[in-house]
Amino acid sequence: MRKNFKRLLAVTLTGAMTLSLAACGSKDDDKKKDDKKDEAFTLTLDQIKLGEDYTSVKADLKFLTHKTDKVDNTFQDYIKEFQKLYPNVNIEYEGITDYANDITTRLSTGDWGEICMVPTTVDKDELENYFVSFGNKSKLGESYDERFLNNYAFSDKVYGMPSMVNLQGIVYNKKVFEEAGVTELPKTPDEFLAALKKIKDNKKDDKKFVAPLYTNFAADWTMNAWDAYIDGGATGDADFVNTGLTKGKEPFSDRGDQTGPYAVYNTLYEVVKQGLTEEDPTTTDWEGSKGMINRGEIGCMVLGSWAIPQMQAGGDNADDIAYMPFPITVNGKQYAAAGPDYCYGINVNSSNDQKTAAMCYIKWLIEKSGFAESEGGITGIKGSKLPDALTIFDSIELVVNKAAAAGEETLFNDVNNDSELGINVSGAIPKQIVEEAIKKDGMEMKDMVKEWNEKWTTAQENHDIKFE
Amino acid sequence: MKEKGNFNFLKWIKSAKVNKVLCIITFMLVPLTLLFVFTYLPFAKMIGFSFYDMKYIGGREFVGLENYLEVFTRDDCFRALKLSLYYIGASFIQLALALYFASLLSFKTKASGVFKGFMFFPYLVCGIAVGFIFKFFYTRGFVLDTVLQWCGFELDNLPYWLRDTKINNFSVAATSIWRYMGQNMVLFIGAIMSVDSSLYEAAAIDGASGWDKFKYIIFPSIKTIIVLNLILSITGSLSAFEPPYVITGGNFGTGTYFVIMNKLAHESQKVGLASAMAVVLLVIILIATMLQKVFFRYFFGEGEEEAIRTVRKRQKREALEKQKMANGGGVS
Repeated sequence: MRKNFKRLLAVTLTGAMTLSLAACGSKDDDKKKDDKKDEAFTLTLDQIKLGEDYTSVKADLKFLTHKTDKVDNTFQDYIKEFQKLYPNVNIEYEGITDYANDITTRLSTGDWGEICMVPTTVDKDELENYFVSFGNKSKLGESYDERFLNNYAFSDKVYGMPSMVNLQGIVYNKKVFEEAGVTELPKTPDEFLAALKKIKDNKKDDKKFVAPLYTNFAADWTMNAWDAYIDGGATGDADFVNTGLTKGKEPFSDRGDQTGPYAVYNTLYEVVKQGLTEEDPTTTDWEGSKGMINRGEIGCMVLGSWAIPQMQAGGDNADDIAYMPFPITVNGKQYAAAGPDYCYGINVNSSNDQKTAAMCYIKWLIEKSGFAESEGGITGIKGSKLPDALTIFDSIELVVNKAAAAGEETLFNDVNNDSELGINVSGAIPKQIVEEAIKKDGMEMKDMVKEWNEKWTTAQENHDIKFE
Repeated sequence: MKEKGNFNFLKWIKSAKVNKVLCIITFMLVPLTLLFVFTYLPFAKMIGFSFYDMKYIGGREFVGLENYLEVFTRDDCFRALKLSLYYIGASFIQLALALYFASLLSFKTKASGVFKGFMFFPYLVCGIAVGFIFKFFYTRGFVLDTVLQWCGFELDNLPYWLRDTKINNFSVAATSIWRYMGQNMVLFIGAIMSVDSSLYEAAAIDGASGWDKFKYIIFPSIKTIIVLNLILSITGSLSAFEPPYVITGGNFGTGTYFVIMNKLAHESQKVGLASAMAVVLLVIILIATMLQKVFFRYFFGEGEEEAIRTVRKRQKREALEKQKMANGGGVS
């Protein structure tokens, strides 16, 4: 009897478990069948006339966003505005705090919502499995700046539309710089260091003053902002990512003329080494830093142009906040990198109505919402003008990274992941620099450069990259 | 069943025997399903992942044991495991403190309930919040520095608690003492309460001091729970994650094994390698636990059992005495 009981128990348990698993499985199957019943989705972004087409479309949309602070206010206003044109579309925003990490996991489930900001973790050849195409690059290029569509384009189809375009520069407090006698903006790393030193000397007796340059080290992602300066902005070469980094030989070496990745990283090293940053980077406070730079307790911070409005809103001195290009001059000319921020993407598993509604909303967000300007960037629509805070960039050439050649779309990501240097992903290099510069007997710049080059070269070899 | 001819399903299902079985099954079904779906299934999947070169999204490639080889050849994985020593050290201090407070508070102490509450409270705070609390606690010129300045220290002589690589691991590990001490203490108090109080009375009549009572009554009676706590703390130390992840982000040499694993999986997208690391850690923890069990059985015994060492000592002594007796008998 005992034996029978055990058998019965075992059978029931396995039965129940397979049943529950099977239940999950069958649901998925149903959904796929439904999708197949729908006709193929062929609408593209350029075909939509806002306010005229599809105004009767009925759909509920779920929107995953990294902008947790905007979910309850700004975005609600957007929804209201949009619903004036499209009354039957309901949109629900979900803010995710640890967006970059969580979204990858959510995406792999397939059932996450309709619109999200496409994460960098999706390789280009995988895009079509997760996102709806917005149309052909050349066709979209008629109304949008084609250079900003490359990030999520694969075989001429665009899967992510930039929510805004950032310029890469340095956000600084004008008053602090002027008070220290820095009237001309630094154009080279040396001039920059000299300027910061002047500020430090000027503020020697100011107990409240925190640092000429605040790294925001503890916030972590702020360090990976430094990686955005090493390509176009530091070389003036829009193809540097592909030819210089991905396929270049030992890209981190000192080029001897204060340009390239070395110049950017060495600036960080020297700034920290010479004590021009906050005393203890492990306890920096990101939210607090907005108020500090606004009140003139911080000289500058190395962040994309999206940071400008946030720093302006940090206190009462919005007018003191200004933006300058990164102090690197290539052959007498200064460049600034410009690139898309997070891009909107539409779930490929949604129904056709949802896809249509989502596309209308995204078009509205890009063209009518004013989101990009209010966030310190530009829209990526052809011929859009720089906002007031960025007029200084009028005289500076903007460099937008070129797309990788066909067949090599994933190469940079592959090498980057393999090397574990996490360029634009984890900020491993800038973090290491700060750590070593602070330690009493830390590594010197040239030893670190050697280490990065070795890691990078090994990763390149693993992916069969041959040097020309 | 047909042979019986008059099988009645209703009667069968209502019978006590079947009812008992049904009861057991229905009650076990829910927890077992949860356990299977959320623990064993993901775990099996993870073991599967560890044999692949894969990212979260995209194709995967079978690479056999390559990931495991890499875990053992990389220098950062096992170097990170050394950091566990800080947490193991902290767990000893934590248990000693917990034992001390438990012994004090289980006797008549004024406001013992309040103290118990205060000391248990940190355990209820979520680990992430604890991390943020201590980030501010250690910030230059904030809580800790201010308190130390009241005590007469000069700010200039104080170290940077999280920046200085000589002490930052101590600072981070100390937070886990604060967090878990209360929990250990409550467990100890529970164990001490279960000791027969007549033993204390008898000891008091015999003139035993507080220390004697602890040494001869409390300690032997709660041996098992101490060992259990010790094993839990040490295995927990090997997989320390929250404090370094939240407080320092694993920077400045505070990245424990788990933090490194998280970095590899999420930042470099090396999911296979990270899974292999997790499996290796599991094996290490299993070995550590077994070693501890053997160790404690040898020195302290298990439950009612006597320690193997004591038994052997006694046997030796007895054998010696026997021999002596035999020898002595021969001489006289």
